[in-house]
Parts: sequence; C-alpha cells; structure tokens
Amino acid sequence: MFEPDLNEHQRRVDRLQIAAVCGLMLLGAAFVYSATMGRESAAAAPFYNQSWFRQLIWYFLGAVAAVTMCLLDYRTLARWSLLAYWVSLVPLVAVLIPHIGTTHGWGAMRWIDLGFFQFQPSEFAKLAMILAQAHFLSRPVEELRQPAIFAKALGLTILPFLLIMREPDLGSALVLLPTALVMMYVAGTPKRYLIQLVGGVCALGALFMVDVLFAPPNWQIFKLEDYQQRRLLVYFGLQYTPPAGASQADKERYRKQQFDDSHNVRQALISVGSGGLTGKGWRQGTQYALGYLPRAVAHNDFIFSVLAEEEGFVGSVLVLTLYGAVLFSGLRIAGQARDRLGRLLAVGIVTLLFSHVFINIGMNIRIMPVTGVPLPLLSYGGSSVLGSMIAMGLLQNVYLYRKAY
Amino acid sequence: MLIFDQLRRNDPKLRAVALMVLAGLGILLAGLWWVQIVSVREYRESLETQSYRTVRIPAVRGKIVDRHGAVLAENRATYNVSLYLEELRRAFDKAAAKLMAAQPDFARKVLAQEKKLGRRLTKLEKRELRTAYNQDKAALRQQARYQVASNVVFQIGQRLNQSVWLDPTNFERHYQTRLALPYPVLLNLDSTNIARFEEQSTSPIGVDLEVQSSRVYPFQTTAAHVLGSLRHDNSSVEGEEAFFSYRLPDYRGVTGIEYGFDKQLRGLAGAKSVMVNNFGYRQTETIWSPAEQGSNIVLTVDVLIQQAAEHALNAVFGPTTRGAVVVMDVRTGDILALASSPTFNPNAFVPSISKAEYQHISELQAEKNRATYENYMPGSIFKTVVGMAALEAGWDPEAMVHVLPNPNAPDKGHIMVGRRKIKDLAAPGDYNFRRALKESCNTYFITAGLRTGPERILRLAQRVHFGEQAGLPTRQDARGHLPTLDEIRYGWTDGNTANISIGQDPVWVTPLQVTILTAAIANGGKVLWPRLVDRIEPPDSVFGGQPTVFARGLVRDTLGVQPRTLKILHEAMLADTEDKDGTGVHVRDPDPLVGLRICAKTGTAQVQDEKNKNTGHTTWFASFAPYEQPRWAVVVMVEDGASGGGTCGPVAGRVYKAILDRERMGNAQDLAHAK
Repeated sequence: MFEPDLNEHQRRVDRLQIAAVCGLMLLGAAFVYSATMGRESAAAAPFYNQSWFRQLIWYFLGAVAAVTMCLLDYRTLARWSLLAYWVSLVPLVAVLIPHIGTTHGWGAMRWIDLGFFQFQPSEFAKLAMILAQAHFLSRPVEELRQPAIFAKALGLTILPFLLIMREPDLGSALVLLPTALVMMYVAGTPKRYLIQLVGGVCALGALFMVDVLFAPPNWQIFKLEDYQQRRLLVYFGLQYTPPAGASQADKERYRKQQFDDSHNVRQALISVGSGGLTGKGWRQGTQYALGYLPRAVAHNDFIFSVLAEEEGFVGSVLVLTLYGAVLFSGLRIAGQARDRLGRLLAVGIVTLLFSHVFINIGMNIRIMPVTGVPLPLLSYGGSSVLGSMIAMGLLQNVYLYRKAY
Repeated sequence: MLIFDQLRRNDPKLRAVALMVLAGLGILLAGLWWVQIVSVREYRESLETQSYRTVRIPAVRGKIVDRHGAVLAENRATYNVSLYLEELRRAFDKAAAKLMAAQPDFARKVLAQEKKLGRRLTKLEKRELRTAYNQDKAALRQQARYQVASNVVFQIGQRLNQSVWLDPTNFERHYQTRLALPYPVLLNLDSTNIARFEEQSTSPIGVDLEVQSSRVYPFQTTAAHVLGSLRHDNSSVEGEEAFFSYRLPDYRGVTGIEYGFDKQLRGLAGAKSVMVNNFGYRQTETIWSPAEQGSNIVLTVDVLIQQAAEHALNAVFGPTTRGAVVVMDVRTGDILALASSPTFNPNAFVPSISKAEYQHISELQAEKNRATYENYMPGSIFKTVVGMAALEAGWDPEAMVHVLPNPNAPDKGHIMVGRRKIKDLAAPGDYNFRRALKESCNTYFITAGLRTGPERILRLAQRVHFGEQAGLPTRQDARGHLPTLDEIRYGWTDGNTANISIGQDPVWVTPLQVTILTAAIANGGKVLWPRLVDRIEPPDSVFGGQPTVFARGLVRDTLGVQPRTLKILHEAMLADTEDKDGTGVHVRDPDPLVGLRICAKTGTAQVQDEKNKNTGHTTWFASFAPYEQPRWAVVVMVEDGASGGGTCGPVAGRVYKAILDRERMGNAQDLAHAK
C-alpha cells in the first residue's frame, strides 16, 4: 500500500497522531452512543440504524478515505488542487438553490440530501480551500510580495467564505479566515499585508458587531438572520430590546424569547459544570437524558457537553490532550515537510482543526458564541467525520513524503 | 513539551503557530477548570433546581384512643383515582398532531394572507402572524390534552357506573403548575367503587388508584371538644426541610388534643424528589426521607361515660342545649368525661369544612368547649367555699341564723345588706349549716360570709386556683376570675362580700375548675392537676420504645382545711340529695341509683346584662360519690336552665348511672383481659 521508502530508518506513519485519532474516534463512538440511546425511540431502532453504529461506519469510510489520500504523493494531489477547489464550489452554489439544498428544518441551507446521507459541502470546501491555498502560496517568497498575488490568495479565501456565509453558516465560514491567515503568515507573506488584513478584518468585524448589536433596525447595514443576531446578543449577554412602545405582552414575549434562545448555552454550561472533577459516569448524565440539553444537538454540536458531564474535568483534559497530540504532531509534520507545499498544507490543516476545536469547546463553556461548528472526530455526522479523516490522511501523506535527514 | 521541542529551533513561524495553539488549548483548559472545578456547585444546584421537584410527604397522624383503647381518632386509607400525566404524554402529542394536521401550516397561512392583501407581507407582519400562529398552536395543544384526559375520565366513569366530569380549568392549572404529580380525578372512592375499579384487570392507560391517608373520627361528635379539629396546612414545621416544590395535603391541629399534642401526633414528614424532564413530566421518584408515623395518644376519657354525659346534656333542651359535664376521678385527677354542648363533628373539617357548616358552628358557638373555655358565675355552689372558710374561721355549724320573710313573697326569705335587699329562695325560719346548705339559703351564707370576711374566702378560693388556668393541653383553657386581695382593700363593700358569698359577680369559674374544687372537697383537700392524657405511645409498640406516662394524682395545692370541716360539708352535701327538702334530690329522677350515696351542691346564678336586667340563670350541679369513699366528681352546668337541682340534677343522675354500668362491665372486661 505504501511506497517503499528510501530511508529505512524513517518511520512510515506518525504513530502518535494515529493513536490520538483512534482515541478520539473511540470517545466519539462511546459518547454518540451515550447521547442518543437515552431516547426510547432510538434504543428501539435496529442497531444498524442507530447513530453510534452509523458513526462507526463513517469512521471506517473516513479511514479508507485517509488511506486513499496517502496513495499518491501530496505533490501530485496538489496539481489537482485548483480543480478540486472549483469542484468544491459547485455544491456550495447548488446548496443555495431551493429543492437541492435542504434546511434540515434549521432555517439554513447547509445540506444536500443524497438519500442515504445528508451531504454538507462546506466541510469539503474548507479542505479544498486549504489544498488550493497551499498550492498557491508555495510559490517563491519573492512573488508573495506582489500585491496581485496577495489579492489572489485573499480571493481564494473570500469566495468560499461568502458562499458559506450565504447559506448561512457563520461558524464554518469564520474558520476559513484564521486558516488562510496562518497559512499566509507561514508562507512568508510580508507582515504589512498581514497587519493590514488583520486590521481591516478587525475594523470590519467591530463595525459589524456594533451594527448588529446596537444599531436600530433600519440603520443596520448587515442584514443578519434574526436567529444569528439573537445568538450574538445571547453570547454577549445583552438584553433583547423590544421596539420602542412595545406592549407589556410584547416585552414579556421578548424576555421569554431570550430565555429560550439562551437555553442551549445555559444547558450546555450546566452539563459541563455539573460534571465536576470525575463526572457522573458513562450513560449516567441527566441533562440530555431528560431533554434539557436539546436532543437534536446533544450528539453533534454539543457532544462535548455530554462527555464533560459524564466524565468530568478528567474527561475534558483527556480530550484536550488527544487534540493537543494531533495538533502538535501535525505541526511537527509541518516542520519536517519536504517542501513549502507540504509545510503549508500541514499548517493549514492544523489551524483548521484547531479553530474547530476552539470554537466548539469554547461555545460549550460560553467563551465563544454558539455557531454550528462540529467537534472534529467526536461530533456525529458523516461530512464532518469524512472531512476530518481526509485531513488526517493529508497530514500523514505529508509525513510519509517528508524530507530525509 | 516533547513534540514542541522537536519543532526545529530555526523555524520561528512554526513556533509562533505552535504557541498560538498552545495558548488556545490553555484558554480552553482554564475555562474548563473554572466551569467544572471552581463553579461546580453552582451548576450542580442549577441542575437540581431544573430537574428535581421535591415533594413533602406528610406522616400518618397518630391515633387518639380512650382509656380502654377505643379509637376516637385514626387514619384510614382513602382511595383516589388519579391520572398519571407522564403516561398520557404520547397520547397528548398524538392528539395535538392530529388537530394541527387539520390546520394550515404557517407557510400556507402566509400565502393565504398575502393573497388576501394582494402583496407580500412585511417582516413585522410576518412576525405578528407567527406569534398568533404559535398561540393558536398552544391552544390546540391544550385542547388536545383536555380531549385525551377527558376521554380517559369518561372511561373511568363508565367503569364506575357514574358520570365523572373533568374540569378544564382545574386540569389545565394542574398541568401548568403540578405536572410532576398525578391529577386526582375522583376523591375518596367508596368500597363498591374500589371493587368495580379493581375487578377489571386492565385500566385505561395513565389511570391508577392512589392511596392517601385521611383523618377519621369514628365516634363522630363524641368528645369533639376534647379531640379538637384540624385545619388543612401543608407548611413545614420547625426543624423540617422548608423548601418543597410541592406539598401533599397535610393537617395541623387547631384545638383540643389535636392541637395540644400536634407535635407528637404529627410525626415526621418525609420528602421525596421527583426527577422531571424538560417538559416537567415525571420520570422517576426517589424517597430520601420516609415519613415517620406520629405517636398515639391515650386519653383518660372513658368513651362510654363521655357518651352518657353528652346524651344526658342533649336530653335537657335537645342538641342546642348550652352546657357542660365534667367527670373526674377524685383520687387521680383523671378526666373521665369532658362534654360540651352544642357540639360539632370533627370529621367535617377534613379535608375542609364547608362554608354553611362553618357558619352553623359559629352561630351556635359550638366550637367552644364550654367545660373549660367559658367563664360562668358559680352561684350557690360557691357556698361550699364560703362554708369551709367560715367553719375554718370558727363559725359554729349548729348556730342558727334566722331568715326573715320577704314582704313581697311571704313564703320566701330575704336579707338586707346595707340598704340593698337580697332575695332568698329559702323559706323564712331558723337555719343551721346543714339545712342552709341543702336548701341553699342565701341569708345564712351571706351572714357567714360577712362574719368570715372576704379575705379568708378569697384565700381559700385561691388555693383551689380559681382565676388561673387549669393546665389543660386543649388550647381552650379559660382562667375564670377571682378578685385579688388588693381589690378587697379599697372600695370593697359588704355588698360585694354578700355577692361573692352566694357566688355572684365578680367570681367567675369554668365547670372544670368547679370539678377540681369538688374533687378536692371529696378527696380530703388535695387540689389536683386535671389529667386528660394518660400516656403517649410510640407508633410501633414493639420496637418503638417506651411510652411516656403522665403521673397520676399530681397535687397542685391543698385546701388546708381541717378534716372536721370537710366532714361537716360532706354530710350537708349528702343531705342535699338524700333529704326530701334537699335541692339535689332530682339526681335520682332518671334512675334510683341504688346503693350510691351522692354528695352534691346545686347552684343557680343570676345572669344579668349590662343594664342589670336578669336574662337567665346559669344552673349548676356539683357532686361527688360515693359518700363513704369518694371516687368520682360529676359537675353539670347548663346555661339558661330552670334551676340547678331541677335541670342539672337529672343530667348528673344519668352520668352516675353510666359510671355504675361501666364499673360492672369494666370489672368483667378487666377479668377477661387478665385471662
């Protein structure tokens, strides 16, 4: 399966990383099981229809995809990166077309229903963007100083960013920004460009926040969906402001709405917090079993809450350690990469994973706003698992073809 | 860190990225530390508040039994048919879905509205429409719930052969506020219906019998004033968990033994916690502290004598007779009967008393224990105190006092005190102590009283503890009134002394106090504490520990008079029932009471309103028996009676009859027990 390596002493794969990924998959299966089997209807279904089993299948398919990724040298893969990039944009456009994209009843068009599988194109677009970006930025450093190249690199990021924003999927779109930024930084893009970029993004972001949170409705430049605005308000702990002259009943309604909207965050916090040091034990958590942690999200976006409630701080630290192992071994791979392409690819993947982990766990403990960003490898979901496993495969690919010492 | 060091030193950019990742993970770790370790208590508390409901379970109230073990108050299991809402939840959802399917969904509604207006709706209009739509949906859900529940209730009705109706408002209120508890559909099922309900093996889903303990007074009105009444009160008592989400019905004693021994009877309320899901439906229940049954109270009362006393009172003017009977064992202070009329049925207070019934009780002042909680003028029965005080002061019992005829009624006597004429029902003539007492001669006792002086009389009355509470645990314990020694020093006239000499204002007593006096005369001068409760028995007679027995014959004070004085008094009181011209002869009217020699003093106090107009008489019969070896004191008081002897005498006679019957029966019973 692997091409024979010239250097006999070199290890073929990064075993530490693979061990950590396997650990995460085990945890993922165990807690998807825990988070879904509390429901009678779920427990009554045949095993092949149960979430944990499907998750295992996705892990298997993901592993196959990862191995496939290693069959060809990443340099060969990178030649196709632009094609992959454009191909990945097709479903991103398609998902916006009614009847092709489905909302899953969530109010955002993020999925394409393939019958057996709800395909979420943004997961793959992120990877395609990283591959294309790595390919694009791996040109000689001198060229990166040209504004046109910088603009093109920026354009490569902005295009999927805008399309994903349009779905809308704020979280998935936002993770693209740090990923691209870190890649440009590592590639050697001049600092002033980056400072300008970061400054510009921050200013725009600040303007955006002020506009969304504080501007009166008809002054708003950015038209966010109602629920997005409310999520941000919840995150910043701001009161919903009913329109001036609202009746008492209206005010009451706004208050209730606020309470309902902050429900997920509050319940996630209660789950995590009540876990304590050692947790309540596997399948002993009550928050999702009693339905306080909404069942629809307990096994995907809020899987960490379930784990933290049942395994406590000890479990949380275990998860962080596993992710740390994956991320730092990824950076080590970047350091050992044969060329700048490999190095950028590894850095991009590490940053993407890190952004996911930080945003997802952060929203469980309320240091980040609630956005639908899955926790890589732990959250239930085919697209997410496949995407993460392909990313792992790419990392291993870079490792396999690293430079010989 | 191992991996970190392996990053090449000469690669500052990767190092920077690694640092960023490390910092990010560090922030997460710190956040998790804060949430899971530092704030763990806060979050655990929120978890408990939102997913547990605590329920107070009242303990089974202890029994109250009479001295022979006859049960006067106990608890019976009552059966309620209850709806367990969590089991109906799926049916609720189904019915709601059906109702909603018939309605156009939101998108359709928007379209219809747009068609009607001929334009697209604005965002605000859409939001308003959404609100209205959601309200409609909530209303549909409520309708669906009621539909399902009332269907189930209808099935119950069919099974029980009676129409049962589910009140929509009540049901909805229960759903909104007490969802974690079962909803009672039918309360207090009778045995036929329990059988009907149980004989069909499968009951409709979500329905079951729920057992509750409820207070029952098997003898109905008997000893109602002694037992007292309960009031619905679920609140926590001292030393008990104070915060409960729900409380099951519980009661608190308001009067009588139920009040006085409430703490012992009540036991210890338990608590359970109900785990509820995010909708508030019950999931599981855990009892963390089981309720501990209350102790049983054994009274000194003998239910047969009590019933006889009540019947005898009833026989005077019917159920509205206002009066009281007290029977006391003169050796121990045991109260054998404590009757008050009019009476009430303590069962009426459980679970709660109806307004009409409450009004009826209030109008008659039936809740008042007239034996202990109302002050009456003692009238002539106070002459026993005056007589003893006079004899002790050296009054010669054989000395004659001459009664002058009353000019207006020549066959009756009178006496002038200062310029005031006091009528005397006794005929003119010469009176010694014995004749004066048995014919209740006012002139004689006023003369003796004036000679003795008020201080000696009051000091003796003080030793009987008139004007003080008798120490009964029933809450209804009046003091009566006795002038203080200070009062007789200033502005006290002979008229006042004359008044107290014949037991008029300002001397006020309760029938129980008179009984204590009578018992003291009978037992040789011991003023006893009345004893209403014999012992407190633990609920579990085998492992519950020792009962608490209250001491018998606790002496509160002594009369401090010579035996000779008592002997003279006893003989005079005996003459009252045995001589033909005694006022107490009517005690033998209902029954000859063969072999029982009774000592008695009658009394008829004039009751006046504010304008000093006579409004009626408080009539008394204070007695003890047997003369040879006194055992029982029987005191009867009837408001607005004709005369002490005529009205109250027969009542006392009936009570003595019951006592004698009881004696004969009791011995037989005790023998049976001994075997």
